[in-house]
Amino acid sequence: MRVLRYLIYLWNAKVFGPFLIRLNLWLNARREKGKSRWNQEILSPPLKISYRNKELVAMHWLEGRYANLGKKVVWITSGAPVELFKALDFFVLYPENHAAICGTARVAVDICSEAESAGYSRDICSYARTDFGSMLSGKTPVGKLPKPDLLVTCTNICQTVLSWYRVLAHHFDVPLIIIDTPFVYHRQAADHAIEYVVKQLEDAIPVAEKVAGKALEQSRLEEVARLSKQATELWMEIMKRNTHCPAPISVFDQFIQMAPIVEMRGDAITVDFYAAMLQEVDDRIARGIGAVVEERKRLLWDNLPIWYRLRYLAELLGQHGIAIVASTYTNAWGELAHLIDPSKGLRSMALSYTYAILNRGTGHKLETMTRMIHEFQLDGVILHSDRSCKPYSIGQMDQRDRLIREHNTPALLLEADHNDSRAYAEEQVANRLAAFIEMLE
Amino acid sequence: MRTYCSFLGLHQCATIIPMLDKTIPGRTINIPPRSEIIKSIKEGGDLIAGVFPIHYPRELLRAFGIHPIEIWGPPRVDPSAGVSHLQPYVCSIVRNALAFQQSSGLDIVDLLLVPHACDSLQGLGSVLLDFIQPQQPIIPFYLPRADGDVAKEYLIAELKTLYIQLKIITGKTPSDDELQDAIVKEERYDEKFSELYIAREELPLSTESFYKLVRSREYVPGEDFVNLSDGVLDQRTDAENSYTGIILSGIVPEPMDLFTAVEDFGGRVVADDLACCGRRRYSAGRSQDPFERMAERLLSGPPDWNRGNSIGQRLDYLVEMIDRKKAKGILFYTVKFCEPELFDTPILRKALQSKGVPSLILEFDINDPLTNQALTRIEAFMEMIA
Ligand code: SF4
Ligand code: SF4
Repeated sequence: MRVLRYLIYLWNAKVFGPFLIRLNLWLNARREKGKSRWNQEILSPPLKISYRNKELVAMHWLEGRYANLGKKVVWITSGAPVELFKALDFFVLYPENHAAICGTARVAVDICSEAESAGYSRDICSYARTDFGSMLSGKTPVGKLPKPDLLVTCTNICQTVLSWYRVLAHHFDVPLIIIDTPFVYHRQAADHAIEYVVKQLEDAIPVAEKVAGKALEQSRLEEVARLSKQATELWMEIMKRNTHCPAPISVFDQFIQMAPIVEMRGDAITVDFYAAMLQEVDDRIARGIGAVVEERKRLLWDNLPIWYRLRYLAELLGQHGIAIVASTYTNAWGELAHLIDPSKGLRSMALSYTYAILNRGTGHKLETMTRMIHEFQLDGVILHSDRSCKPYSIGQMDQRDRLIREHNTPALLLEADHNDSRAYAEEQVANRLAAFIEMLE
Repeated sequence: MRTYCSFLGLHQCATIIPMLDKTIPGRTINIPPRSEIIKSIKEGGDLIAGVFPIHYPRELLRAFGIHPIEIWGPPRVDPSAGVSHLQPYVCSIVRNALAFQQSSGLDIVDLLLVPHACDSLQGLGSVLLDFIQPQQPIIPFYLPRADGDVAKEYLIAELKTLYIQLKIITGKTPSDDELQDAIVKEERYDEKFSELYIAREELPLSTESFYKLVRSREYVPGEDFVNLSDGVLDQRTDAENSYTGIILSGIVPEPMDLFTAVEDFGGRVVADDLACCGRRRYSAGRSQDPFERMAERLLSGPPDWNRGNSIGQRLDYLVEMIDRKKAKGILFYTVKFCEPELFDTPILRKALQSKGVPSLILEFDINDPLTNQALTRIEAFMEMIA
């Protein structure tokens, strides 16, 4: 029976399904003939690598659909040390990533309503609500989500994920691994905090091994960590290329192309993907192509994207020759690459995961922003004040004031929500942006 | 008990709790106001720590001659002073705390201790440290969410770090014996706190008075708290039980006339799962090492998301409490925007419902009085479960 299940998984997830996905993408590409829905008078054509991104993402969720037949499944937070679970051959699912897909596909509100009908308040993180809505109703734009055999939450992005995964653990009745990373208020994390994270990682291994039904091989862990580091470094390189004027890609491109670095970190295909993307970005630089056709002003984006309005915002700003070329959010997936040292095992993992930007103080974020302003020669900052993401948003009011007063950088606080469009008022956003653009001129 | 002189500041009047004991008509106990306590502490040459919610080692502060005065908001301050630092979607406890600080309400304290409980308190600590930088030292304190020895070891090290920070601030270096002494005393005060809970039905107090007394632990020095408590415990009467008992779960019971409202509708809060009250019924530690013992105590409280306990553990605890207290329902009384509570309540409510325990959820802002709508819902709930 197990063999049969595994064969069904292989056939659907690795043979027939991928064939269908490729065929479908190929037919779509032919139909669209290289045309994009994004206004190409204002914005450059999408990266060619987008095609490969779509393929990778589609394959990932296709595998997810059948994963329960052939693999153990872990649901994990985006900031968690995924390498351990990759090395144990889990199928890794990121509910945050799935929620972002729902946001982009504009089905998040409908799915959130399912959670709200079950009693979840509209004041909790809209990613969590999207996840609960999917979990309770089965609604998802990716076909079907596999059930978790294991849950892993890491508090290095917020305490919300602890609350969120406690709900999942209760619902699915499966083990929950908590990796608690004490918040770094000062420049350095305390030694005992790093030690604490290392010990939790050590304790997590037997729990994960038990669920995986196999032992963790050191060599495999090192290999996954090496691939994770490579992909992260490449991603960082790609973002650094935006120091060029005009910037070859926008932050909106980064938001779209970041899916593999989040959900396929530690896979060889992810390294290949970003190597190819870097090449294409370099090619754009060589040919003087900018993400915004006539780049006149360059901005920084702070906080999560507004997933359901990416195109609108890119075009609205692009019309005025404004390119958003850097963001603290996409930067977060690359900035810790230097801390990853596959030969140093769990300690290096503990360090890199403890120093995530969201696990550090509001002053550190301001420093990151000011560094990026100089590095990318930026003219201003948009701080997305994200109603249901408190850890990212608290501190922004002071950050904005310091940017204006002490760094002479125009900064705008834009009220919205990353996934819940009911907390977004288009007219108000347009007015605020118009006033900000006028100020930048 | 020490004598207090009056002092202008927060809560200028003493909280006078009337006793219901028919044998001693008119007998009251006076809980001194914070302002008096602060003045008395200052006159005694000790320091004051303003402490934000929820869990922290009182005994360590006391060993350094520092008195903790807790800041749960406070309620009903003008929140406008904090609006240039925090967005409106942050809970009122944190917004008020910052507004209070910004309007000089905390100038009197010598240091601020910010335990890490949630994203909002984390943000508050960080904004204070990095941007507001008040005159007093700010000390964050992280309670572990992991389980078992790894959590205890971390907490021991965290307490030792706190010791060093307090040593720098005060110049004092309490010995292990002095630490043990402070620990044993606080454990005794905790025990008294629990004693009040155990005897609550026999106490000659209304529920509101009971909670005023137990919440005085937020600012009254332990030794005085014991005296106040003994004054009430000595007056036990026969338990009266002509009411419909309910459990109150949440963060803080504000405004406190909530209890009277429940009583007006024939009910009574007979137990609680409140972060400022019942969730801090710690047990005494056992170790001879003072830091380990403090860690044991802090990790010993009832199930709490702040310690990473599961929803199942919270549920079992509530069910046991309901059975023991023969409660008819639960009121989840939740601060608006308080995510940790809002995440747990749907599962808790559903599971309790399946066990035949009805519940009501009410959200509130600590600046608001009890609204008519809230009163109507409480009334309907009490009628339903009576
Ligand atoms: S609260 Fe913010 S950081 Fe946490 S899961 Fe939600 S969006 Fe992510
Ligand atoms: S009320 Fe809730 S969100 Fe606010 S400080 Fe307390 S625990 Fe945090």
